[in-house]
Amino acid sequence: MPQSIVELQSISKSFGGIQALYDISFKVRPGAIHAIIGPNGAGKTTLFNIITGLYRPDEGLVLFEQNPIHGLAIHQIVRLGIARTFQNVELFASMSVLENVLVGHHARLRSGFWGAIGRWPRVRHEESRAVEHAVELLRFTGLEELADQKSSDLPFGWQRFLEIARALASDPKLLLLDEPASGLNAVETSQLGELLMKIRERGVTLLLVEHDMSLTMGISDHILVLHQGRRLAEGTPREIQSNDAVICAYLGKD
Amino acid sequence: MRRRDRGRLALGMDPLASSGRKKACLASPEQARPIGAPGSLCSCSCCRDQRPETNIQPSSAGKSADMKNLCLGAAVVAAGLLISNPYHLQVLTFIGIYTLLTLGLNMLMGYAGQISLGHAAFYGLGAYSTGILTVHFGWSPWLTLPASILLTAAVAYLVALPILKLHGYYLGMGTLGFGMIVFIFFREWSRFTGGDSGLVGIPALALGPVDLSSRTAYFFLVWGTVLAGFEVCGRIVNSRVGRALRAIHDSEQAAAAMGIDTSRMKVHVFVLSAVFAAVAGFLYAHMINFISPNSFDFMTSVRMVTMVVIGGMASIWGSVLGASVITLLPQWLHVFMDYEMLVYGLILMLIMIFIPQGLVRGITELYERSRTR
Repeated sequence: MPQSIVELQSISKSFGGIQALYDISFKVRPGAIHAIIGPNGAGKTTLFNIITGLYRPDEGLVLFEQNPIHGLAIHQIVRLGIARTFQNVELFASMSVLENVLVGHHARLRSGFWGAIGRWPRVRHEESRAVEHAVELLRFTGLEELADQKSSDLPFGWQRFLEIARALASDPKLLLLDEPASGLNAVETSQLGELLMKIRERGVTLLLVEHDMSLTMGISDHILVLHQGRRLAEGTPREIQSNDAVICAYLGKD
Repeated sequence: MRRRDRGRLALGMDPLASSGRKKACLASPEQARPIGAPGSLCSCSCCRDQRPETNIQPSSAGKSADMKNLCLGAAVVAAGLLISNPYHLQVLTFIGIYTLLTLGLNMLMGYAGQISLGHAAFYGLGAYSTGILTVHFGWSPWLTLPASILLTAAVAYLVALPILKLHGYYLGMGTLGFGMIVFIFFREWSRFTGGDSGLVGIPALALGPVDLSSRTAYFFLVWGTVLAGFEVCGRIVNSRVGRALRAIHDSEQAAAAMGIDTSRMKVHVFVLSAVFAAVAGFLYAHMINFISPNSFDFMTSVRMVTMVVIGGMASIWGSVLGASVITLLPQWLHVFMDYEMLVYGLILMLIMIFIPQGLVRGITELYERSRTR
């Protein structure tokens, strides 16, 4: 039983003269919900982008299941089992809801140009399995009835849920969510919380960057607090809520 | 409501099934299975009866495409048998060649969202490689067909590797430059290409004892190839690869996050569109029996882009319409004499202003609006 699904070892990253992250180490335990919080500019998104392969750390290691993954291309990291959603919802606007989830299956499917042209039985079988699985995911997220709609026609809250369904389609071991509650109303946020708990029950580890404290404190098992690129605190929601340094950083010194 | 029902029907579900049942299912503990495991489909009893049939959208899209291909095939056969005027046949054959060009470019532009302002280069490479190999080296045209496809594909691949790292305007500039280099190459390498005076004496095609040089036979050859091209494109569009291409068009960042190797995919579709252009060039060279650099200049590239845009981006059917309009319009506009180009430009402008989504989609929307009224 591995202790961590993702492990960051003394990660540093700077952009020009600005030190975005300074010596961050962090372990994500499998099967748990982890959250990274911190004021604006704390380096949350940078950390996120380092795990997903968008940025390379200047120093330090990113281990996924004990193997280093920093330096791999984004699509290779997805194939290892790390899926993500975007802060501003990046759906494929011209495609239907079902097609969006089917694109999410890309990493799990194999047929290429020749398979598409030849349409061999294996390709057709793979395709119909993907559609079945996509419909199941839409059912899981409650979007099944909208399968045929254009994704850009959905209300914003449902677009978020669709993005999560699409990310789950690659069959990830770890799902990274970049501010999943931003732009959602209170009802939608609590639905999102329920959905995230259900995703964890399916055996997917979750790591979210989030501003919404009610969501983070309600569902997280473990929280990392960043402040100006440094680790400020780490622990359970209860420990974080009573941590003086965190209160200082969020509310300012009295 | 109607839309929603249609969606349910397309999914092979009972449109009247209440959503209450679905909710009950969501809450069931059966859901807590790992995603993607072989038996991961929800297996509770309430889902089992509305579990969709195995083939849902892709095959139904494929079926309507089959129907359209059949219709086009019937139209082609009818036109080929009924039209005897050689001039009309030749114009229609030209439309076929342009359709092939547009089809390939549409895969690159309309689906993958990558512009090429130098595509006439691949059209020319296809034409010149078959022309040079038959005229100077005495190859049989049926040997030069694979040769010109391979050569063009190889050039496209080598060009695509660096050039597709560019985006937007820069990609336009890069492909434009490439098109110009190839054009100058055709003009200056006169020992083989004949330079400005062109390459003369490209043989007509014959299939064993069957002479394909008659207008009707060539019409069928070209449009048969177009139909095959339609089938190939239709299959690609409705596949994992086609979805990946459209995903790159919509958001390259999100496409990469889905595990799509975006640069590899773009290179592949670039090569595919170059191969379509090479085949069109082959057919063109053996139809006219004479080629000169001017047929493959910058204006030809622009005309190809115009055909894609006028017909409709990301619409296979738009390719026929775009190619037809751009080929026929100048012929019809002869009545305007000196003002021909003026009217031509005006029509293109009006199409772009009022139906920017392209003719096929514009007409479909008009039709649907008139029906709902």
